[in-house]
Amino acid sequence: MIIITEAGISEPTLDALRDHLEGHGVRTHVSRGTDRVVIGLIGDTSVLDAGTVRAWPGVASVVPVRTPYRLASRQFRAASTLIPLGDAAGTRLGGRDIVVAAGPCSVEGPEMLLETARGVKARGATMLRGGAFKPRTSPWAWQGLGAQGLALLAEARTVTGLPIVTEVMDPRQVDLVAEHADVLQIGARNMQNYALLAEVGRIRRPVLLKRGLSGTITELLLAAEHIMARGNDQVILCERGIRTYETATRNTFDVAAIPVLKRETHLPVMVDPSHAAGRADIVAPLCFAAIAAGADGLIVEVHPRPAEAKSDGDQSLTLDQFGAMMAMLAPFAAAAGRSLAGQPAEPLGALVA
Amino acid sequence: MPQTSLTALRTRLEAIDAELIALLARRMELARAVGAHKRTHGLATLDAGREAKVVSHAARLARDAGLPEEEVRQVFWQVVAMSRRAQQDDAQ
Repeated sequence: MIIITEAGISEPTLDALRDHLEGHGVRTHVSRGTDRVVIGLIGDTSVLDAGTVRAWPGVASVVPVRTPYRLASRQFRAASTLIPLGDAAGTRLGGRDIVVAAGPCSVEGPEMLLETARGVKARGATMLRGGAFKPRTSPWAWQGLGAQGLALLAEARTVTGLPIVTEVMDPRQVDLVAEHADVLQIGARNMQNYALLAEVGRIRRPVLLKRGLSGTITELLLAAEHIMARGNDQVILCERGIRTYETATRNTFDVAAIPVLKRETHLPVMVDPSHAAGRADIVAPLCFAAIAAGADGLIVEVHPRPAEAKSDGDQSLTLDQFGAMMAMLAPFAAAAGRSLAGQPAEPLGALVA
Repeated sequence: MPQTSLTALRTRLEAIDAELIALLARRMELARAVGAHKRTHGLATLDAGREAKVVSHAARLARDAGLPEEEVRQVFWQVVAMSRRAQQDDAQ
C-alpha cells in the first residue's frame, strides 16, 4: 500500500499518520516531493483498514502496490537513486553521467594491476574492477589472491584515485571486503544467496548486484529488496547476460532488461557486456546498445595481455581496444542525452608508465 | 588537517561513544524492568503502538535538533528491537 498525502501536509499531521500506521506493526518509508509526501508501507498491511487510512487527515489517496518488491519500486520512490562512488568528488551513478568501470577479471599481481589501473584511467574509466575472491566453476581452477588481492586493489586506488569494485562471496568476508572496496559486488551465482544479501544489507556501502544466470527481472528486483530491507538502499543492478539456447555467445545479453528495469525501479542499472558475450570482439557494440537502451554504467574486463590472463582472457579487451571503444562511446552517450563521467581523458603519456 | 588535531577530535568522538553506550546500558536496564512489569501484569511483550510512539518521539526530537529524521528513525527502530529482544529473552 502506498499513501499519497495532500499538498503541504504539516509535520504534526504526518507524525500522527505515521504513528497510526506503525502502531499496527507496519513500517513507513517516506519520500518527500516538492509539496506532497509519498508514504510506502512495508510489512503486513492486511491489518490496516484502507477506508480508515483514506479518511485520515492529510491523506489524498491510497494506492495498492502491484509488484512483489516495494523498496526497489518506482511506485515507492519516483526519483532515480544517485549513488556516490568512493571519495572521488562528483562521481555519482544514476544521474546524467555514465560511469565506466574497467579492469581485469582477477587481480593477478601488483604490476599487472597497476598497469591496468593506470591504463584504463588514462582512457577514461571512472572506476576500477578486479576480482580478489573468484567464484570458479571448477574447484581446480585458480581461485584468486583473496585478502592479498584486496590490499593490491586498495593500493591501486591510492595510486590512481579510481574507486574500486570487487566481489564478495562469503558472508564472513563482508566486513573485510568493505574495509577495502568502495562498491561490493554480488556475483551472478550469488544473486539468491540470501544470507550473503542480508550481510551486505547490514553495511552502508554501495552493492553491485549482478543478475543470476537464470534470474528473471522480478527475481533480481526481489534480491535487491532483500538488501534494502536490511537498511542498505545503495543497490546497483547489473545485467550480465542470461542462459539461453544460443551458443555463439557465452550468455545472451538481455538488452530489454535495461528499459524494463529503468521503468520498474529507481535503482541505477549497469551492464557487464564482457560476461554477457564471453568474447572480446563484440564487447564494444554491446556497450553501444546498453547506452542506447538507457544503462547508467558499464563494467568491462580489460587486461594488458589477455592471452596471459589467469581467467576470462577470451572476453578481456586490451588497453588499446578499450581506448578505441571509449572514444566511440561519447556520441552514443550524447544521442541518449547523457555524457561520460569523469574528467576528459588525460594525455596518455602522463599516466601510462 | 594536522595529524594531532585529527587524533584529538577522534579521542573526543570516542568519549561520546562511551557516553552513548552507557546511556544504552541504562535504557536497556529500564526496558527490562518494563518487561518484568508486563510479565507480572499478564501483558504481551510486543506493543506495536508503544514502539511506534517511541520512534516518532525520537523523530520529533531529531527534527528539532536539526538531525536527519529518517536516519534517526532507523536507529531507534534498532534500539526498540534490541529492548524487545531483551524482554523476550528474560521471559523465557
